Amino acid sequence: MAEIRREGDLTLFQLEPKERQVLLEIVDRIEPMLGSSHWVSPRAYGDDELEREFRRLAGEDLERSREADLATLREGLAGPLPVRLGDPEVWGWVRALNFLRLALAEQLGISEDGWEERYSPRQHRRPPLATLHLLSWLQEELIDSLA
Amino acid sequence: MAAVQPVVTHGTGHSTTEERDRPWQVVVWNDPVTLMSYVVVVFRRLFGYDLETATQLMLKVHVEGRAVVATEPRERAEVSVAQLHAHGLQATLARD
Repeated sequence: MAEIRREGDLTLFQLEPKERQVLLEIVDRIEPMLGSSHWVSPRAYGDDELEREFRRLAGEDLERSREADLATLREGLAGPLPVRLGDPEVWGWVRALNFLRLALAEQLGISEDGWEERYSPRQHRRPPLATLHLLSWLQEELIDSLA
Repeated sequence: MAAVQPVVTHGTGHSTTEERDRPWQVVVWNDPVTLMSYVVVVFRRLFGYDLETATQLMLKVHVEGRAVVATEPRERAEVSVAQLHAHGLQATLARD
């Protein structure tokens, strides 16, 4: 059973090899959705010209930052168990998880608050919603470990 | 691997000094999936807010759909928006 706890300056993520494999597969499945997600790459300006200039200056750095966070998540999951994360790595994980959750939610057509009530308890227990909940749990636990 | 933080070193466009110094608002918008606890820790990390201020701003985003989280000169505001985007938050710039 997966568990996250704090030990000194580190966050420890204890999970079974099978659980680790599931998480890596989830990352593999969702990552290709990131490129087409509006929530993952939101506009900074309403004005098209200002937006183009902002993208020119910051777009590449933002993409690199996102890729680095996803790499941090993958490397952590692929390493020795339990996963041991310093705070910079925890931040990489929580950012990567946020991007994955945004892209998955957008793909599911989730667009406004209260979306949870649109689905039955059975739907919440099965993929793809269960996947979203799993990523939420992991992100929330990691955020708690930073506090 | 540590994450690369986006760096915006110059404001967009070619504006006068007066125009550049005019404050801009950094606006964060609600989305239905980002965790409230995440928004709070990001506000604290990026803007140095205490827990109470960060929580109030997060609730304003959640309830009203948007909140101005900082008012800064344009170049600084663009950096803030880029940092918010790097954390997966929906943020825009608006003239003060």
